[in-house]
Amino acid sequence: MSAVTQQEAAPAPSRLRARRRDSSARRASDLVLLVPLAVVLLAIIFPVLWMVYSALRPVQDIAAGVSWSTLLDNISLDAFVRLFEATNFEQYIVNSLLVCLVGTFCTVIVASLAGFALSRYSFRGRGAMFLLLVATQLLPFVVLITPVYLFFSQLGLLNSFPGIVLVYVAMTLPLAVLLMSGFFNGVPRTLDEAARMDGASTLTVIARVIAPLVWPGIVTVSVTAFIAMWEEFLFAQVFLTDDSLKTAQVGLAGLFGEYGTDWGVVMAASTIAAAPTIILFSFLQRRLVAGVAAGAIKG
Amino acid sequence: MTTRRTSLQAYLLSAPALVIVALLFLFPSIYNVILSLQEISPFQGPGDGEWIGLGNFEYVFGNPEFWAIARNTVFWLTALTVLLRIVFGLALAVALHSPVLRRWKVRGLARTLVLIPWMVPQVVAIASWRWLLDGSSGVLNQVLVGSGLTESGVAFLAQTSTVWWSIVAIIVWRELPFVVMVLLAGLQSIPDEQYEAASLDGAGRIRAFRSITVPNLRPVLTVVVLVTVIQTFNNFVYVWLTTGGGPGTYTAVLATELYSMAFFANKLGAGAAIGLVMTMIMAVFAVLYMRATRTEDQ
Repeated sequence: MSAVTQQEAAPAPSRLRARRRDSSARRASDLVLLVPLAVVLLAIIFPVLWMVYSALRPVQDIAAGVSWSTLLDNISLDAFVRLFEATNFEQYIVNSLLVCLVGTFCTVIVASLAGFALSRYSFRGRGAMFLLLVATQLLPFVVLITPVYLFFSQLGLLNSFPGIVLVYVAMTLPLAVLLMSGFFNGVPRTLDEAARMDGASTLTVIARVIAPLVWPGIVTVSVTAFIAMWEEFLFAQVFLTDDSLKTAQVGLAGLFGEYGTDWGVVMAASTIAAAPTIILFSFLQRRLVAGVAAGAIKG
Repeated sequence: MTTRRTSLQAYLLSAPALVIVALLFLFPSIYNVILSLQEISPFQGPGDGEWIGLGNFEYVFGNPEFWAIARNTVFWLTALTVLLRIVFGLALAVALHSPVLRRWKVRGLARTLVLIPWMVPQVVAIASWRWLLDGSSGVLNQVLVGSGLTESGVAFLAQTSTVWWSIVAIIVWRELPFVVMVLLAGLQSIPDEQYEAASLDGAGRIRAFRSITVPNLRPVLTVVVLVTVIQTFNNFVYVWLTTGGGPGTYTAVLATELYSMAFFANKLGAGAAIGLVMTMIMAVFAVLYMRATRTEDQ
């Protein structure tokens, strides 16, 4: 008996007391929690469901309102067709993908090098570097817009992809370095020492020995950086004013800025603009959640 | 000799990261201080500003609207949304932590659903809510009018009585999952022995929540409050894309004011001055944050 209890309690020891009383039998009183929780969760996901639903409804129905009897009548991709006919949204998506993929690649490479230095070497200024990285995370990012704008206007980096990529790499780099150095700390030093004995250079050690071992960590850092870049609005709005260079979020915001908004089109654009982050998030939900939670709790 | 060579290697490896951080964070932060003392427009070069001492600060602080904008930022944008996130977030975390969900095998589902607002970009969240709240054909107004609660549609984002509550709702909705997630992890890290001991001593659920859950969660709550305050105080998108700061400047906050000042009024110096004020306020929270996370590491 006690062995059974122990085994059962192992995955979630927190509820030992409750389990001992009623094992795992479902009870009618559970509904006191379940029903309100279900209502709350439904309310929480409703705006996203409504977004996708509105994107699939024909234009005349959107203005007419909702009725249960015709809820699923005339579902179509019409709004998406209108979106691509009337706007350059496909261009904005391509721009966003390009900027975010290149930016993510740069962030991961640069962060791996610096993360390795923080993890493996004790050098003068190491503490200061940590402090600098944490401090950048706490600085109001919006404050940088005026000084960086003037720098970039002088360097000809306004209305250019290299300019916005540089901003996005800088924006995601501090967290990426801190995360990477944490992942490297989990790899025993004896491994890189052994590789060095065989005559491998530092860069070879990082690329061939350490990186394959922290692969899941690199994926986490990449996805976190990509999502942050994909969602960014302010700098893209100020720095990329050419219509042919706009990103998805800026393009989307332009759609509902005007009067007489075609909400079917806006919701179609919203659905597309949210798809990459929703997909990436779903793939890596557990790991991202664990990372964020660990960052806030620590010990 | 070897140590010198290995630290040289460490510097070389860190160099790209340090250069980027210096170029985009360090120098601009310092340059922002210089800008705040100059009169300069977005169409001028970095060296063309005219020194005007504290003129920008006099101009910014002398504007009676500035104090209303600062109040908006502190109360509506930050304090109220953080408080609501903590209250709802704690309630949801406790509910999701309950053994009932496991008994009914819905724990994973519930924990995924609660994260959904966090999966959509902020701009998309704002777009979806603007559609929900739309004055004529938004679903909320259709329900209100259809059920006879109001005679005609409510222009939630255009009238002062509802506009701030609408923005608050959008922020709390989008940013709640983060708080739930962290508090849930905090709840899971509380050792069960404490609850068992309390139950042996005859403590009820409410007593256990007050005497075990709350004190154990306090460090996590402190960090969550500081992180959310820092994130929200500086937020530009929620207000800008919901109302543009309007009607008038009724919903303007410091971040949108900085932007309007710099790029609409073409006073980069005044924008920089607002930025400096924001940085100094946030520095206090940054120090508190570093202190809170450091004591926990020990």
